[in-house]
Amino acid sequence: MKRIRSRSLLALSTTALALPGIARADSPPLASTLSYKISNYKEDELSRREVLFGDLDRYDIDVHQFQFLTPLGRNMSLQVDANYESLSGASPWFTSAGLDGKPIVNLSGASGIRDRRAEIAIAASYYLDNGSVSGNLGYSEEDDYRAFYGGLSGERHFNNDSTTVAAGLSYSSDDIFPTDAEIFSRVNSEHKDSASVFFSISQLINQSSSFQTGFSITEQFGFLSDPYKLRDVRPEEKTQLAWTSSYRQFFASANAALHINYRLYHDDFGISSHTLDTAWHQNIGRGFRLIPGIRYYSQSAANFFTNVDDFTQALTEYQSSDYRLSAFGAISGSISLVAEFANWTTTLTAERYITDEKYSAYEVSRPSTALVSYNRVSVDIDYRF
Amino acid sequence: MTPTLKRYSFNTMGSLCEIQIYDESRINAKRIIKQLSTEAARFEKKYSIYRGDSTLTDINNSAGDPLGIKIDSETTALFRHALGCYEQSNGLFDVTAGVLNRIWDFKKAKAPSQQEIDALLPLVGFSKLSWRNSRLLLPAGMTVDFGGIVKEYAADAVAKLARTLGVAHGLINLGGDFAVIGPQLDGQAWTVGVANPKQEQSLMAKIDLLDGGLASSGDYERFFMHEGKRYSHILNPKTGWPSSGLRAVSVAANLCTVAGSVATIAMLKEESDAIAWLQESGLSHVYMDSNEEVSGVGLKSD
Amino acid sequence: MQNARLAGILLLTISLLSACAEVRPWQRGNFAKPEMQWQADTLESALNDHIFFSKEASSGGNSAAGGGCGCN
Repeated sequence: MKRIRSRSLLALSTTALALPGIARADSPPLASTLSYKISNYKEDELSRREVLFGDLDRYDIDVHQFQFLTPLGRNMSLQVDANYESLSGASPWFTSAGLDGKPIVNLSGASGIRDRRAEIAIAASYYLDNGSVSGNLGYSEEDDYRAFYGGLSGERHFNNDSTTVAAGLSYSSDDIFPTDAEIFSRVNSEHKDSASVFFSISQLINQSSSFQTGFSITEQFGFLSDPYKLRDVRPEEKTQLAWTSSYRQFFASANAALHINYRLYHDDFGISSHTLDTAWHQNIGRGFRLIPGIRYYSQSAANFFTNVDDFTQALTEYQSSDYRLSAFGAISGSISLVAEFANWTTTLTAERYITDEKYSAYEVSRPSTALVSYNRVSVDIDYRF
Repeated sequence: MTPTLKRYSFNTMGSLCEIQIYDESRINAKRIIKQLSTEAARFEKKYSIYRGDSTLTDINNSAGDPLGIKIDSETTALFRHALGCYEQSNGLFDVTAGVLNRIWDFKKAKAPSQQEIDALLPLVGFSKLSWRNSRLLLPAGMTVDFGGIVKEYAADAVAKLARTLGVAHGLINLGGDFAVIGPQLDGQAWTVGVANPKQEQSLMAKIDLLDGGLASSGDYERFFMHEGKRYSHILNPKTGWPSSGLRAVSVAANLCTVAGSVATIAMLKEESDAIAWLQESGLSHVYMDSNEEVSGVGLKSD
Repeated sequence: MQNARLAGILLLTISLLSACAEVRPWQRGNFAKPEMQWQADTLESALNDHIFFSKEASSGGNSAAGGGCGCN
């Protein structure tokens, strides 16, 4: 609506719009929100048994997220996102066989990596009586990486807003120019394009539960290998398919909600995965919510994954010892506390994520020794005005 | 085939109501009008204090029950809006003020004694209501009445339903509370009339509504003369006396519900406060003051 | 084996959808609550998507793949 200057009018409009006969399935926000979230992500050290030389520390990342969301005119909304990350630590450079034949990880450089990433994105949505359309554009920059991306999506409601169908597409154009390329005989500058489409449908089942299911297809073309690894050769094309389903159930007697999400994934590198995450949103008193959650992830290995780099292989043969292409599983537990007071909302989150090849539901013939476990803590502050 | 105007009048919520829609097919229009009038009737069935089987009557009958009464999400949303009105009017708009109607007889133009008023005032006060989970605890002797909210909400809900059913041009009128479904066929606004509190059957203003809603509040039907001062039938929950300020107010807003709340709050305030309140809202409005002068901002008047 | 499992999940999905009773507008109060949203906290979702994208091989699902970064 027209920028509501009167506070009284804003208060009355908010409560009126919440009346079920009037409420729209999606509508622009009535007030603006400014959000800031700061997080720290720290990976576990590797053990000395796994790393013969140098630091045992892996990544330590600080993330800052800013968001501004505001109504624009009567039927539109605008969102601006700005993110900044600073990263320090080391990353696996190559793996070799130890004296006992077992794989050893060799971490990059004595001084480790120090990298920063800055990203800015803008998105706008236009709301109609029975749906909405949205568009977004973004730019992300690091010392060695640059990406431009954009997307378009739309939503349409049916059955008196009980059913919603959504679809969209996005595209990203990325350039990588590895640091110290000359010294380490890395590629100088490479390019990658990705395009993705998605389709989803959601349905209200009854007064307290809803269900959503969606598919996405992503195509990547270009340089897909990791330039920092001594030997990493991947195909120049990758097709990814994902199917996600979500369920929400409200429990009136407990004043809490259950969230269950499941994703099935497959790509033509040969990787398949299952992701199951569930959370319990428990309201406490007036203005507090506690959200414990568990996530289980399990993936298979890429066709060309090897846990020990083979430098005798021809450069045209696909090969990678990147642990992210190995068969492994991960379990993570998280807990969030949300506190709402007047125009402010604060959220504290802590998460512990552990990987192990034993957690994988798939056959693991060659486990990676470079699997990562981490801790993450976040503080988020939102202000509505 | 050009769409033609179909009109349908009916009685609900104590007033004469009218639905006007443009539709190419008479059969289709009939079908739609039936659904719309059923939806309008739903509000009367649910929130009329005169019906023994309404949700509102059940709520009022639960007064004094220590276990309270379970409230559905629509009624909860109405209470939330009532709370908003209570807060934004500094306690003047109070849905629990209805008990005072017992002791005021507007027909006989007789004021109750201060003692009678003082006896009832403790039974008035929105802040005396409490909620536990989704159960409302209404203290003994208190009543709730959604007058000033539910008719306007019904107008908005019926208009939204009409749009969902595919009606692009139409107008809902529930006893003087209007909600536009869509403009006239040529994209022009609907012209609605607001009753003149001075003279029955004549208009205070003619207003063009392109979208949104229009709600009015005034002392048209019932008013009270006491010691030379004129009072409306809208009771002030703090003093127990009817309010005395503007004679009538009409407000246009994006939603008839919001327009109704702003108009009712204006009628509860003292005249100068009311005029300032209407100005600050930024909404188009027209009013008649105690000197019977008609003024307004943003609305065409007659 | 994978195909049978997939078919089973699809069947469950379709039968769930057909079990839906029409939910009247005034019965939808629960869906307006923050704890019942598909994505209750957009910054948290964005952060998790970013972390999991860089630590795991999978991405995508309910929305088109997001912005690029050098982390994968």
